[in-house]
Amino acid sequence: MHTDAPKEGLEKANKYVLSRKLDQIFVNLAEVYRFVVRFFQEVFLPPYEWQEVINQCFQVGVRSLPLISLTGFIIGIVFTNQSRPSLADLGATALLPALIAVAIVRALAPLVTALIAAGRVGSNIGAELGSMKVTEQIDAMEVSAVNPFKFLVVSRVLATTFMIPTLTMYTMIVALMGGYVNIHANELTSFKSYINQVFDAITFLDIFSSVIKAFVFGFTIGIVGCYKGYNSSKGTEGVGKAANSSVVTSMFLVFIEELLILQIVNALRG
Amino acid sequence: MGTAENNKRSVVVGVFVLLAIIILVAGIFILGGKQKRFEKTLEVKAVFDNIAGLKAGNNVWFSGVKIGTVKSLQLYGTSQVEVTLKIEEDVQKYIHKDSKARLGSESLIGNKIIEVYGGTPQAPVVEEGDRLQIEQALSTDDIMETLQENNKNLLAITTDFKKLSNDLTNGKGTVGALLSDSTLANRFQSIVSNLQQVSATTSQASASLSQFTHKLNNKDGLVNQLLTDTVVFNQLKGSVNQLQTTASSASAISGNLEKASNNLNRNNNALGMLLNDEQFATQLKGTIQNVETSTKKLDESMDALRYSFFLKGAFKKKAKADAKQQAQ
Repeated sequence: MHTDAPKEGLEKANKYVLSRKLDQIFVNLAEVYRFVVRFFQEVFLPPYEWQEVINQCFQVGVRSLPLISLTGFIIGIVFTNQSRPSLADLGATALLPALIAVAIVRALAPLVTALIAAGRVGSNIGAELGSMKVTEQIDAMEVSAVNPFKFLVVSRVLATTFMIPTLTMYTMIVALMGGYVNIHANELTSFKSYINQVFDAITFLDIFSSVIKAFVFGFTIGIVGCYKGYNSSKGTEGVGKAANSSVVTSMFLVFIEELLILQIVNALRG
Repeated sequence: MGTAENNKRSVVVGVFVLLAIIILVAGIFILGGKQKRFEKTLEVKAVFDNIAGLKAGNNVWFSGVKIGTVKSLQLYGTSQVEVTLKIEEDVQKYIHKDSKARLGSESLIGNKIIEVYGGTPQAPVVEEGDRLQIEQALSTDDIMETLQENNKNLLAITTDFKKLSNDLTNGKGTVGALLSDSTLANRFQSIVSNLQQVSATTSQASASLSQFTHKLNNKDGLVNQLLTDTVVFNQLKGSVNQLQTTASSASAISGNLEKASNNLNRNNNALGMLLNDEQFATQLKGTIQNVETSTKKLDESMDALRYSFFLKGAFKKKAKADAKQQAQ
């Protein structure tokens, strides 16, 4: 029988520190904090579930590649096409490769990858762990002396944390190729010239900030999905809720993080 | 899940991650190559009054070729900016100590750049830490200022033109009258017509003149010979001299003639008496009458002599000889 400890504690006390809703928010925050701390404790402690991490990497990374590639390619084409009229007004369509490069490398590649992954992987993790929780498989694991947190949460969070940056690299390349296809079709720019202009426009800071952003996004998607699934309420409704809220919350957090990291990078850029 | 499946997944994930790392590393190397991060560089400095938004990382060009980047910018002195340029060691030999740096732009709306230019081979090559001389390039503000000045001038010009065209339309001034006054226009037309005629005549005259001068230039022509042939000239000179002599002789002759005619008018000589003395004329007339009568009588005498016995044969002989000569 599953027991929701903090909620039970509140009900037992039968009184709220601030109000029921505010107390609930802070209790949730405390839970998230504990969850994250536990992740960092477990991740460095043996035994390491390498095989499960690789399995999750396969699910999160390799299985998402076709979807991410297609999306990235289309975004490259669409973004180039939509940016052209504005530059054409200035007679500066020659600057399209530079514009595309900056947009894709700095923002679009990590963001699009994270959003697609949040939709595909976050919901998957939330639903999977939620159903395991509901069907008491997690409790069963504890009983059979397998650390469910390490096996389920750590492996998944590690997988998302490392696979989102990996996918971001692919998205960058594929989106830049999409941009090239469009630019070559319209401006007849050669591949060499395109690559030259792309790399003239971007800096090391652009690439590194994108990779770091992707790590943060990956960690967020994994930890949110796992938290929502691991703490889902009872019943089949709880599974749906866990899947839904893991997608919504992780997407929301991705945007917040994007904004914060942008500020930091701009400060570094001087 | 079987071990074989696990192994397969591990390999796929490994390849997947490796490819992503290759993409990242390739990107870093291409970018590094572009920014010459992995090449040996040397730093030179230049101090500008105004860098117009130049940033660290902007390109440094030499003869239109990228040779490095701007490493850092630092305020210097009272209000100047010291720009540190990172230049590839490979191009060091082309940049001499007397080279100059100026602020430029990749294009009208492109990034700012530093252009290194000039330098003479006589000067030694630039070294680490050297300070390049600068030339303050025209900033956009300067260009705009000049453009503004141009605009004002253009406004003044167009205002003048407006007034001018207005005056022209209203028939003010000579040109205005010319445009609007029909009498003046007709006169002008007639002037032009006259001018046309004059020009036609002038054309003919010039054609004739041309023909004439052509003749003058003709080698066989008299004038040409006069002008060019020294023999003719000398002959002419001789003739003129002779003519002069002749003229002086003629003058002497005319003097003598005058003298003679004077004498003729006097009675103190034979001819003058013949011409002027009436008495002598009457006497001479009588003498001539006498001579005439005498010659008539002599003629008759001679005829009679012809038929005389002694001379008859001689006359016959002469008549025969004449007839023979005529027959031949």
